[in-house]
Amino acid sequence: MLALQLLVNGLVTGCALGVVSVSFGLIYATTKLFHVAHAGVYTLAGYLAWSAVRHDVPDVLALLLAMVASAAIGAGIQHFLYAELERRRATHLVVLIASLGTLAVMQNVIAAVYTPNILQFPLPWGSRMASFAGVRLTYTQMLTVVVSLAAFGFTLWFAHKTILGKQIRAVASNPFLAEITRLRPQRVYVAVVAIGSAIVALPGVLVPLDLGLQPYGGVTPLLTATIAMIAGGIGSIAGSFVLAVGIAVLQNLSLLVIPGEWSIGVTFFIFVIFMLFRPTGLFTRR
Amino acid sequence: MDFLWSYIALAEIYVLLGLSTNLLVGIAGIFSVSQAAVFGVGAYIVAYFLMHEVMGFLPARLIAASCCVALNVLVTLPSLRVSGDYFVVTSFGIQLLATAIFVNWTAGTGGANGLPGIPPPDLFGFPIESNAQLVLLCSAGSGLGCLAFWLIMRAPFGRLLRAIREDELAVAAAGKGVLRAKVSAAALAGAFAGSAGGLYATFLSFVDPSSFDLDASILLLTMVVVGGARTLPGSILGPFLLLALPQALALIDIPTSIAASARQLIYGVLLIVFMLFRPQGLAGEKL
Repeated sequence: MLALQLLVNGLVTGCALGVVSVSFGLIYATTKLFHVAHAGVYTLAGYLAWSAVRHDVPDVLALLLAMVASAAIGAGIQHFLYAELERRRATHLVVLIASLGTLAVMQNVIAAVYTPNILQFPLPWGSRMASFAGVRLTYTQMLTVVVSLAAFGFTLWFAHKTILGKQIRAVASNPFLAEITRLRPQRVYVAVVAIGSAIVALPGVLVPLDLGLQPYGGVTPLLTATIAMIAGGIGSIAGSFVLAVGIAVLQNLSLLVIPGEWSIGVTFFIFVIFMLFRPTGLFTRR
Repeated sequence: MDFLWSYIALAEIYVLLGLSTNLLVGIAGIFSVSQAAVFGVGAYIVAYFLMHEVMGFLPARLIAASCCVALNVLVTLPSLRVSGDYFVVTSFGIQLLATAIFVNWTAGTGGANGLPGIPPPDLFGFPIESNAQLVLLCSAGSGLGCLAFWLIMRAPFGRLLRAIREDELAVAAAGKGVLRAKVSAAALAGAFAGSAGGLYATFLSFVDPSSFDLDASILLLTMVVVGGARTLPGSILGPFLLLALPQALALIDIPTSIAASARQLIYGVLLIVFMLFRPQGLAGEKL
């Protein structure tokens, strides 16, 4: 029974992680930048929603506000930092360091404003339980699954059916050619980081509903999501989502034999296996 | 100990770490946030050997450095074989994993409480106990490190590393092993970090996980970025400046509850500002 509960928990965590993975993958495949500060956007979204809820904003509106704010912050990072560095012909390494600096700034501004302690959302419905066939789920967990699957579906639809999505994929596959055909890669980059940031706000708010908020809590989910993205194949939206679910399930099932504080080791072990034997990921097209 | 002397000794230990980070990030151009983890491995190994009186300070430090070399080779070889961005993931993973080990493996590392009471170092059986001797030892350690760094950068190997930074493709076309040179640079960085760890453990006679976490890695990166990449003066300047920063902050009235975050916040701002306006740092070369 415990195994079944862990399996379900893994599926729930995996859905949320899948959305982080999809959003990061969208940005990484397009801009080719390792956007470390994405972890900061993920964390900040949760805190913004928390503040909104504390000021008696309705729950759904707080989530939407967090998404809009995240999109604005993401766009700001791309426009004022990455694009600026690009204009100065900075190397990849320089951009990475700047991104890490942005992450440090965001985390520590949060820690200074909200204290480094764990904060819980003051929402009583979030921890209400329902049980199906002996498996207990909180309302938050059910909501996480529904919203995550919807976000995943939306991203797939967006990337393949909308004009902006097609533009993004065009720039991702060949920025130079896209520029010749009058697409402006820099504009597309701002758009894609904004959209990715808005999407990551969903798990950024939903996961802390269950687990609470922590200023430095974004790095581990981002790392796991990145591993899922690599294992799934960079550029494959479905691949990164499926692998994120898979990794989260493995991580939760490993709790049967390995204590929880070592779960980062399990994740990392999966990454090493992939790196050694299948570095291009499972779902890459030639 | 006299405050100024302890600051100088600590800064000298961080000079060794600055050299290590500079070799890896500045010269080989490998972005890494796991430098503090490697540093920590060195510190814990030396602490363990000295506390259990297995061997003297110098052999313990040698073993610590060798372990860090092995660790860095093991870590960089598979990921750099694929691409640089894979190493970003690897280094985050190693850093988080190392922190998990430092905090949770209570039997070996003392857990979150750390290991107190590490005995003072000795040189060939002579104990080094007075503060002046400790400062001298740190000076000698970092002096040797600087000399080694200077010699390496003048040697053909150093020129190869510089060439790789200029044009990796051209170096590969000239028949040089790029991957091998990068992994060797990482190995050297491991040796520097490991021996710095040994000095750190004996100098403070106490180690705990908070000195070796992700924030510490960011601090090390900031030291190189502010001091300047790829040069000896840069690696010396950075640690001295950044270790003075907490003292400068103490002069301004910041509530203690946010002092740590304020410090890390400044490191972050420094990283961004230097990358935007002065990527070569104060006394370095183009990053």
